[in-house]
Amino acid sequence: MSTKSIRQQFADTMLEVGQQDENLVVVVGDISHFNLQPFAKACPGRFYNIGICEPGMLSVGAGISKAGLTPVLHTISPFIVERGMEQLKLDFGYHKLAGNLITVGGAFDYSYLGVTHHCYNDFALLKMIEGSEILHPGTCFEFDTLFRQTYKSQALTLTRVPGNSHDVELGKEDIRFGKAVKVADGTDVTIVVTGPQLSNAMAARKLLTNRGHSVEVLYVHTIRPLDTPAILESVAKTKRVVVVEEHFENGGLGDDVLRAVKDLPGFRFGSRNLGTKFVRTYNSYEGLCALVGLSPEGIAAAAEELFSDVRRSTRLDSLNAGHSTPQ
Amino acid sequence: MDLTTPRPLLNKDLRRKIVNMVVSGRNGHIPSAFSIVDILETLYSGFLKYDPQNPTDPNRDYFILSKGHGCVALYSVLHKHGFLSDKDVAEFCKPNCMLGEHPDCNKVPGVEASTGSLGHGFPFATGIALGLRIRGLNNRVVTLVGDGECQEGTVWEAAAIAAHRKLGNLCVIVDHNNSGDQILGMEPFVDKWKAFGWEAHEIYGHSDVDLKATLDSMTFSKEGQPKVIVARTTKGRGVKMIEGHGPWHHKIPNPEEYKMIMEALA
Repeated sequence: MSTKSIRQQFADTMLEVGQQDENLVVVVGDISHFNLQPFAKACPGRFYNIGICEPGMLSVGAGISKAGLTPVLHTISPFIVERGMEQLKLDFGYHKLAGNLITVGGAFDYSYLGVTHHCYNDFALLKMIEGSEILHPGTCFEFDTLFRQTYKSQALTLTRVPGNSHDVELGKEDIRFGKAVKVADGTDVTIVVTGPQLSNAMAARKLLTNRGHSVEVLYVHTIRPLDTPAILESVAKTKRVVVVEEHFENGGLGDDVLRAVKDLPGFRFGSRNLGTKFVRTYNSYEGLCALVGLSPEGIAAAAEELFSDVRRSTRLDSLNAGHSTPQ
Repeated sequence: MDLTTPRPLLNKDLRRKIVNMVVSGRNGHIPSAFSIVDILETLYSGFLKYDPQNPTDPNRDYFILSKGHGCVALYSVLHKHGFLSDKDVAEFCKPNCMLGEHPDCNKVPGVEASTGSLGHGFPFATGIALGLRIRGLNNRVVTLVGDGECQEGTVWEAAAIAAHRKLGNLCVIVDHNNSGDQILGMEPFVDKWKAFGWEAHEIYGHSDVDLKATLDSMTFSKEGQPKVIVARTTKGRGVKMIEGHGPWHHKIPNPEEYKMIMEALA
């Protein structure tokens, strides 16, 4: 498994694609500019460290798109999707202009920087932009592959670049935009997982297998458009689904999975995510994951709840009440 | 430039068209439109390069009305210059119409940006200017902002970016009708633009001659100082009753008021 960061892969991919496509323009908000110097040198006049002015950067990026080029706009996640929300809505969405947003610092990757630099709502916010696409690659290969597949689309595409990679080897042909990857077969419960949490999901599968459960794992690198048929097929078989994501409970992958399977009879739903509260604790990324239950044991526990009559009282329980089948 | 000597009223026909659209559509901002209509007509009658039969002509100049609430003036000018039909204008603010109270660039030929929320059009225009330069093209980009709009932070983000990137193909015209002064004073306004590195001009904003002379004096180039024209205007210019910053901002004339306005514009 490569030790290269996905962020470095972003810079490497820009260099390669930029040399092949003279319409590619990279604009950053004073982040990753050292990594992108090879692109800047190889593609003169197409790299701009525009300044610490993210709303302006996004509007300028939309204008670059209007002028017939392919903008890549890059900075820390909250400064694009939270601070720049109206620019995304109007300058890209309302105008129907295409562009590529590449963010770092999604969820709590900047774990010690606190809530100012956390962003657990990026999936939810981007879904509010008509026609948007959302990617969450978990390895360098996934980033490179998905970027090349999507960067010239007519949509506004957000790619959350995680600070950590998962350690699961996937077939190269499996990485196709909009398609979930079945990483493991099973019959009792489906774990739908996105991003680097795939490692924890596979470890949870091992725990659950040892406890007698047959676990299917679906890996989702494309949050939008979601591969609804793959999820439906799996949950129709297992009748149980746990969604694992580094995102708030509201508006994330879990909501979309729940919407996808809502008409299936007798399914049960669980989740491991960041709930509804800011993460105010300072800790390492791994420490914060453990704190919120994004761990092998935490995911396994969420799955095992679906085999029990005694269940946590959660918002999702009430949502799911109409479909719950006591075991 | 002479900023104070009274000048004859221009574009009475366009002003009458604006009032008729607003009265018919029961929506629109007459004073804001009267503030900018002379600027727009000057731009479209001899400065901007465009083809109304091919609004997306790659060789066109780009005009972005950043203060979108003045769009009924833009509609009147686009109609005069062949972008819009009589039917389009007659259907202003009618159900399922093309021409709404803020412009939609995906509906209206000749409109480059869907504005209305202030502080978007100018940064967007800045990106267009940068993109055109990256492509090695010579098209000019002109955007019109309001003085109240200049209270938005994104205006000054764009001002800094355009100056730093030496976007000599970009010109901002400020419709300075003092709307903003009553809320948040921005004087010395022209000096602010100069301090940001812009080539700044100040003119009387209801003179076609002065605006055209100023535009013609400028050198548009791929790399150079961006240019700003602070146009001193009067909100509601042309009809004393609606001039200034009172209740007429979004008011629809009643039949008696309509008669008085039309008499003033005869």
